[in-house]
Amino acid sequence: MVSEKSHLGDQQEPGHEDPNADARPLSMPTRRGPRSLPPIPSASRTGFAEFSMRERMREKLQAARSKAESALLQEIPTPRPRRLRSPSEKELETEFGTEPGGKIQTTQQEDDSQSYSRVKFRDSVRKIKSKTPDEEELLDDKDAVDFLLGLDRGAEDIVAVRPADYESVHIRLQKEKELLFIPSRRTVPTYKKLPENVQPRFLEDEGLYIGARLEVPRTNQNIMENRLLMQEPGRRWFGDDGRILALPNPIKPFPSRPLVLSQEQDIKAELETLYKKAVKYVHRSQHMIGSGDPPGNFQLDIDISGLIFTHHPCFSREHVLAAKLAQLYDQYLARRQRNKAKFLTDKLQALRNAVQMSLNPAKTPKSLDTTRRAINEYKSEIRQTRKLRDIEQEKDRTLLKTIIKVWKEMKSLREFQRFTNTPLKLVLRKEKVDQKADEEAYEAEVQAEISELLEEHREEYEQRMDEYRSAHQQWKAWKKAQRTKKKKKKQGVEEHPDDEMEEPYPGEDPVKPVPPEPTNQAVIEQEVRERAAQSRRRPGEPMLVPELSLAGSVTPNDQCPRVEVLRREDVKRRSVYLKVLFNDKEVSRTNSRPLGADFRVHFGQIFNLQIVNWPESLTLQVYETVGHSGTTLLAEVFLPIPETTVVTGRAPLEEVEFSSNQHVTLDHEGVGSGVPFSFEADGSNQLTLMTSGKVSNSVSWAIGENGIPLIPPLSQQNIGFRSALKRADAISSIGTSGLTDMKKLAKWAAESKLDPNDPNNAPLMQLILVATSGESYVPDFFRLEQLQQEFNFVSDEELNRSKRFRLLRLRSQEVPEFRNYKQIPVYDREIMEKVFQDYEKRLRDRNVIETKDHIDTHRAIVAKYLQQVRESVINRFLIAKHHFLLADLIVEEEVPNISILGLRLFKLAEQKRPLRPRRKGRKKVTAQNLSDGDIKLLVNIIRAYDIPVRKPITSKFQQPPRSSRTFSEKQAASPTTHSPTHSADYPLSQVLVRPFVEVSFQRTICHTTTADGPNPSWNEELELPFRAPNGNYSTTSLQSVKDDVFINIFDEVLYDVLEDDRERASGIHTRIERHWLGCVKIPFSTIYFQAKIDGTFKIDTPPVLLGYSKEQSVVAERGFDPVRSLSEGSYITLFITMEPQLVPGESVREKFDSQEDEKLLQATEKFQAECALKFPNRQCLTTVIDISGKTVFITRYLKPLNPPQELLNAYPNNPQATAELVARYVSLIPFLPDTVSFAGICDLWSTSDQFLDLLAGDEEEHAVLLCNYFLSLGKKAWLMMGNAIPEGPTAYVLTREQSHYLIWNPCSGHFYGQFDTFCPLKSVGCLIGPDNIWFNIQRHDSPLRINFDITKPKLWKSFFSRSLPYPGLSSVQPEELIYQRTDKAAAAELQDRIEKILKEKIMDWRPRHLTRWNRYCTSTLRHFLPLLERSQGEDVEDDHRAELLKQLGDYRFSGFPLHMPYSELKPLIEAVYSTGVHNIDVPNVEFALAVYIHPYPKNVLSVWIYVASLIRNR
Amino acid sequence: MGPWSAVLLYTQHGEQCLAHRAAWKLLSGVREGQTQVDTPQVGDMAYWSHPIDLHFATKGLQGWPRLHLQVWSQDSFGRCQLAGYGFCHVPSSPGTHQLDCPTWRPLGSWREQLARAFVGGGPQLLHGDAIYSGADRYRLHTAAGGTVHLELGLLLRHFDRYGVEC
Repeated sequence: MVSEKSHLGDQQEPGHEDPNADARPLSMPTRRGPRSLPPIPSASRTGFAEFSMRERMREKLQAARSKAESALLQEIPTPRPRRLRSPSEKELETEFGTEPGGKIQTTQQEDDSQSYSRVKFRDSVRKIKSKTPDEEELLDDKDAVDFLLGLDRGAEDIVAVRPADYESVHIRLQKEKELLFIPSRRTVPTYKKLPENVQPRFLEDEGLYIGARLEVPRTNQNIMENRLLMQEPGRRWFGDDGRILALPNPIKPFPSRPLVLSQEQDIKAELETLYKKAVKYVHRSQHMIGSGDPPGNFQLDIDISGLIFTHHPCFSREHVLAAKLAQLYDQYLARRQRNKAKFLTDKLQALRNAVQMSLNPAKTPKSLDTTRRAINEYKSEIRQTRKLRDIEQEKDRTLLKTIIKVWKEMKSLREFQRFTNTPLKLVLRKEKVDQKADEEAYEAEVQAEISELLEEHREEYEQRMDEYRSAHQQWKAWKKAQRTKKKKKKQGVEEHPDDEMEEPYPGEDPVKPVPPEPTNQAVIEQEVRERAAQSRRRPGEPMLVPELSLAGSVTPNDQCPRVEVLRREDVKRRSVYLKVLFNDKEVSRTNSRPLGADFRVHFGQIFNLQIVNWPESLTLQVYETVGHSGTTLLAEVFLPIPETTVVTGRAPLEEVEFSSNQHVTLDHEGVGSGVPFSFEADGSNQLTLMTSGKVSNSVSWAIGENGIPLIPPLSQQNIGFRSALKRADAISSIGTSGLTDMKKLAKWAAESKLDPNDPNNAPLMQLILVATSGESYVPDFFRLEQLQQEFNFVSDEELNRSKRFRLLRLRSQEVPEFRNYKQIPVYDREIMEKVFQDYEKRLRDRNVIETKDHIDTHRAIVAKYLQQVRESVINRFLIAKHHFLLADLIVEEEVPNISILGLRLFKLAEQKRPLRPRRKGRKKVTAQNLSDGDIKLLVNIIRAYDIPVRKPITSKFQQPPRSSRTFSEKQAASPTTHSPTHSADYPLSQVLVRPFVEVSFQRTICHTTTADGPNPSWNEELELPFRAPNGNYSTTSLQSVKDDVFINIFDEVLYDVLEDDRERASGIHTRIERHWLGCVKIPFSTIYFQAKIDGTFKIDTPPVLLGYSKEQSVVAERGFDPVRSLSEGSYITLFITMEPQLVPGESVREKFDSQEDEKLLQATEKFQAECALKFPNRQCLTTVIDISGKTVFITRYLKPLNPPQELLNAYPNNPQATAELVARYVSLIPFLPDTVSFAGICDLWSTSDQFLDLLAGDEEEHAVLLCNYFLSLGKKAWLMMGNAIPEGPTAYVLTREQSHYLIWNPCSGHFYGQFDTFCPLKSVGCLIGPDNIWFNIQRHDSPLRINFDITKPKLWKSFFSRSLPYPGLSSVQPEELIYQRTDKAAAAELQDRIEKILKEKIMDWRPRHLTRWNRYCTSTLRHFLPLLERSQGEDVEDDHRAELLKQLGDYRFSGFPLHMPYSELKPLIEAVYSTGVHNIDVPNVEFALAVYIHPYPKNVLSVWIYVASLIRNR
Repeated sequence: MGPWSAVLLYTQHGEQCLAHRAAWKLLSGVREGQTQVDTPQVGDMAYWSHPIDLHFATKGLQGWPRLHLQVWSQDSFGRCQLAGYGFCHVPSSPGTHQLDCPTWRPLGSWREQLARAFVGGGPQLLHGDAIYSGADRYRLHTAAGGTVHLELGLLLRHFDRYGVEC
């Protein structure tokens, strides 16, 4: 600004004198305003003032304008056109236009040292600034002055306007020059920087290291140097070289973080990223069945190149010799290659030299002691080596001899038989040797040996001598002592008569030692020479080199004798092939190749085995075919599984030998195999050869496309560790794999005096050398935890020994024994050792089949198998159980919507009707927060019908035997068949029966009060506590509770036992006895799944109840007859439930894979959904899971299958009887519910053959089998799914007879008419036939009320219809069932064993009483049981009773036969126990027990147990 | 879970896996698992509240257990992509600990970033070792992936017997 003003002044001053020059600077800030806006005429001002002001202004303006014009004209030649332009444009114009002129002006003024550009800039700025004001004056001055005059007129006197202070540039620069120092940019001469008279030194040139200096621009350096010189003349800033002292450049030459772009090239493998697409979330399949490791695709290449027989039955004698010769020659070649004798000779030489060296004391400055020791060692080694060498040489020689001998034999044989069979030819090549040198060497060797031996002997002699001397000394001493002793003895025989006894070793006088004989040199020499002659080549003898060739010619067939021709033909007929067995399964086989005349077979085939798992075994089987008559297995060759390092291309061909033990005799020239033959004419010197040979093969791992060997991961190698360790290490090349400790290896090598020169040891020595040579050895591996061992707190063993840890781990692994184990003790000492016993035992006998519990071996095997299936299934599902859905974890109450709220509100307004109670749903309890004692089983026993009544024993039996009832009778039995006349037998006053009910569950027993009569009514509620196994109330564990609820009905009998009649008046003495009448068994699982059980059940009464009979008359008098008399048994009405109600577990939500058509599966889902929509409570089944866990369409299970022929033959003319028999057969197969075996998991359906093999199954299997039998009998039969009591959802079989339908219970073998009220089946869901499924869409589902006509589509909705025709599904069932006859002897044996065991058990249950067995009765019973079986437990009662009465007239007898299918022993014992026969404690009671087993085909056994107690009547 | 400056509808689920070394023996609990998917509706914080219950026995200090986390995010189509890797050591003193485990994910080339922005997915490490080995990790171009907040309660037993003071 200052300079601007000065310019303005400079330029304008000469032009004109400005009257308002003082006002001009003030106008400057307001310049912009007036320019854009026209001057506003001020209304407030006076007219005069305004006028005068304007006038004056105008004048001034004009004057100024003319002045300015003239000024402009002076400067610029063409001012004219510019006047019309706008001022801003003018500004720009002037700026550019005036520049050159101004520049010249100002450059003249500026003469300081500043740079040209700066001058230019400053100059131009100045120019602009200087120009603009005087141009704008034209416009502005008028307004500005206008203002000023208007405002400041009065203030003129007070304010003095002065120009701003200004100092001219020159002055200022001068002033600055005094104050400022501007360092020069010129280079500073070196002398200025260094102390005087000092030459600069360059350290770098002198060879000292100087880091690279930081690069600084030269000018900057100069400036700095100049400044430093000026500022601090002390000169400590400069180094010896005259430069500023500086640290080396700290900047690294390359950036430590590379640029983004360079990343692409050298990316490290571990940092590689892969772009992965966003994936849909699927449940991880690791919990699913069957997926573990991804099934890899691995490949094993087996190259079978050929086969050579070393012996074959078709070998002729010549062949035998040829094979022998070839073998010997091979051996010879191998030996020659190794050349052990030569090597040992060399070694011996070396050792001798070493001894010589160490014997020379001048050369060995070591101490004498060490040398002596070394020499001794050497000597012993020399001895060893010599021995070895001798042996080797001898071997070589004998081998050579044998070869020649065999060859000679062969030649003679060829001559003898006058033909040649083999092209073998042996040529012995003689290699000349220099006789003299050879002799010398030989002699030298012998001499050396002699001297060594001499020395040896001398040493030995000396040693012996020493021994002898010491022995002699001892002997002398002993002699002396002996002598003195004798003297003593003579002296004091009288005093010490027992001295003789004390004499220590009277018989063992030390023998006088014999001095050893000195060695005889001649003898030794003799020995050595003999040995040399024997084992070594004689000097001068030529070296023999045998050479075997195939150059000989074979005699053609026409020149051979007949036997030989026959042999050759036989050979031609034979061919050989190999089977490749992988893990004992045949995977491929080679082509069949004819056997060549040389007994070699070339295959040259490579098999690529695509495998999934690590191979367990690899076997080749050699098969031979003779002509067209079958093949024989010659031998098996086991191939080793290759190391992981052996890959295709690198595997060498190996020869694996095999041999066979077959015996073959041939009627031609062939020598046969396993048969003695002889080369001699007289048959002596017999020889027996077995077929043997070699397979040359190689096994290796294939290499994949990308060069990765296709080897299964090591984790799969269950054979383990051993082969995993065998990786490519140097040591494995010598066969000792798995060694890693180099130091130990080196130590071992040193200790065992491994010969470093032995070529066999070369790789090992190399390794040791490398390993032990010091720090230079860098291992090419990295150990992750180097100091693990050192820092361990405890050893692995100790950690593994901890019982607590083990228990914790087992529990978390959910091992069955420890699953749900609660609260593991904190201290090890609190854990008992026996906790593990069961588990360990189980582990041990996993594969041992225990036959103790299962008397029958077949069943033991089945039980074991079932156990395994169960375990694997349970394990599979345990894992699946860990999958949770949202609903499992979060219970979310539904937000009430308006309709629900409305309903609730409506309910509030409802009338209260206290007399009409409403049913309230019980609260369901989830299993988590339950403990022992929380759950109770409530059993409500309401009433019973038709309990058998006592029969007076005294009354004579006179009931006529009833005719055996026919089927039709059963069907529509009229009440009139039972005449009411029987009632006459019983006096009305007598109590018929006093029944009570005992409920036992988990060995807790409750019983009701005693009621009277055959139709008692108890109406009592019994409460039984429930304990879950292990106190675990989870659904899984509850589902697997196997306990049954036994409901036993007893008769309470009072006996008067008062002995003395006289006391009868004063006392009563009776004994209460109870007699078992029948039982109802309900499994807990049914109660658990059904939540409640309500209904009338048939009491399982024994077919014969001695002392009781069915009381018909009373019934007849009441009004129930039409219903009652239809059925035979007794009934009880029960209501069972649990308090609180438990939530039954859901079956596992898991989709099983299936081989069914996808369309079919979709159709099933649709069908099921439709059915469930209409009738949610009816069971609808379309697909089931088979035993291997696959979904199968249900109709595939139904197919006519043949029942055992034995059953069909029983009643050839009575189809109904046959049907009953078949049903009985099916019912005899033991029942095992799936829900128990596969706790809460699912129903597994096994096919009928599996079912018969397992001999266990639940309703479905029974029903399927029965249905299949009926189909094969030509009946119309369907599988009927529905609900029954007490089973719950179950399967029955429906058959159609001529006019009616029959419902069969497959598990009991009973059948019911459609309108039978006591039919346990209460509802029908669907019917399944072999080709369709029909779902019940009628209003009712009770079998009583529905129509079974499946042809009516309004009543039955069929799965396959016109829109979806039946595709003709093949059955999963076998073509035919094959039945083995059951071994009768085994059954009889089993029968005896069961009887024995049961008797023992009964005695065990009566620990306080004596148990007597009535043999007579037992034998009677035993006779009776087969009768029962024959009649299936019907209608024999009366005969039997009569017989019993006849035989045991004076006994009070109570007993009954039990009948059950045989599965194992435990249920039998349990059943006997539950009858309580053993509970009788009358002093003179006797027992009888008989067992009968009736065998049915396929090991189905029907067991009858007759238990009875007898009390003698007095 | 730290704040997420991402798409509004952003869900995550994570994965824990615990290092196991020779010295450490898992007595009970699951070694690795997966949380549920949480859709943060208020704020950017996703809550998993996933319990981890593990019981180890050790014979030495080496191989102290650590938590490896992989955070995945699920988009509105139900597709999952990696949102971050992270790991942290289990503290060595008993008591309750609040841990913050920062996570990161590889960025990939611009093309991959573009693809990630539009079609989802993203680069993932081929070898998981780089997550915690870290020697060469600086070469990777990564993006921050939020912080996983962990609360661990720790019980130690018998460490003092072997001279380890905690």
